[in-house]
Amino acid sequence: MKTSGMDIQQSSDKLPPGFGIWIELFWIFFKTNLFTSSGPASVGFLYRDVVDHLMTEAEFVEAVGFSNFLPGSEALKLAMFIGFDAGGYPGTVAALLGAILPPTASMLVVMLVLQKFQNASWMQGFIHGTVPAVAMLISVAAWKMFRGSDGFQKRTLLIAALSLIAFILGAPTPLVLLGGGLLGILWFR
Amino acid sequence: MGILLSLFWLFLKVNLLSTSGIASVGLLHQEAVGKLLTEEQFVQAVSFSSVLPGSEAEKFAMFIGLRVDGVAGALVSLLGASLPPTILMLGVFTVLRRLRRETWLTRFVKGLIPAVSVLMVYVAYGLLTGGKNPFNWQMMAVAALSLVAFIYDVPPPIVLIAAGVVGIFFFK
Repeated sequence: MKTSGMDIQQSSDKLPPGFGIWIELFWIFFKTNLFTSSGPASVGFLYRDVVDHLMTEAEFVEAVGFSNFLPGSEALKLAMFIGFDAGGYPGTVAALLGAILPPTASMLVVMLVLQKFQNASWMQGFIHGTVPAVAMLISVAAWKMFRGSDGFQKRTLLIAALSLIAFILGAPTPLVLLGGGLLGILWFR
Repeated sequence: MGILLSLFWLFLKVNLLSTSGIASVGLLHQEAVGKLLTEEQFVQAVSFSSVLPGSEAEKFAMFIGLRVDGVAGALVSLLGASLPPTILMLGVFTVLRRLRRETWLTRFVKGLIPAVSVLMVYVAYGLLTGGKNPFNWQMMAVAALSLVAFIYDVPPPIVLIAAGVVGIFFFK
């Protein structure tokens, strides 16, 4: 008599090598993005699932470092980095799919619901109430980012001051940000 | 077709010039409000993205894309938002990893961060005082309470939902 455990063993033998890890990567990032609402929040969550299991702590720190120091969405960068390390290019795709699915699905559902209540007066009040909270959310995130990077050095303060002047004078935003980046290339050696 | 292209370009640009979802709201506001969406829709996009599960940058793209041009708009925006990190990460796997952090790209981001932080505060100030939302004590009270909550590390979804509920009763 075959046990069911042996059946599973045999059927998984027929799958391409690494298949298990691709499924696992997909599941880890699906779960992480389902239970967290932003990149930084997902780091702690990922740590428990990934470190000592798919990669070492040093590799994980490197992944987080790269996600913070390269442009683009943090969650996607983390997914791709960890996916690549643990499962090569297919691992990257699996992790990416897992990471993209929850926000896509939740947004579609919310849009359907929103369209129904768009003009309800309580919805207008709700949105109105979130305005100051959103403003503070953005400000606090800006503060944490500024303090967490290179903090209060002369050069960061100078870039900040120059950017503020440029925004007040109405300079095109992408140009101001590009300018900040270019000054960074020159000054952060 | 024109609108799809401008959505794609918008999110490509926004995700090239910011390092995380929340950091991209400043540029998103400056580039999209008044052209592709209203200030109210922008606030909706940010608050729903902060409450719902998943990465913020993707949710902004989905929300704004859907709003502006339906499912096609959402897909195109998502593609634009995902392209910069994907290409950069592929670069990291093949080349950059050997160079570690001593690259011009990381110095670019170091210079970008102060500029992006100032932009975020600038946009936040505009939300509090601008156009449709004249300065009033209810707004300031909610802003002050939210600030205290964030300083004490209350999770953003809870703060935003609470602020919205207050809004239902006090902002008619």
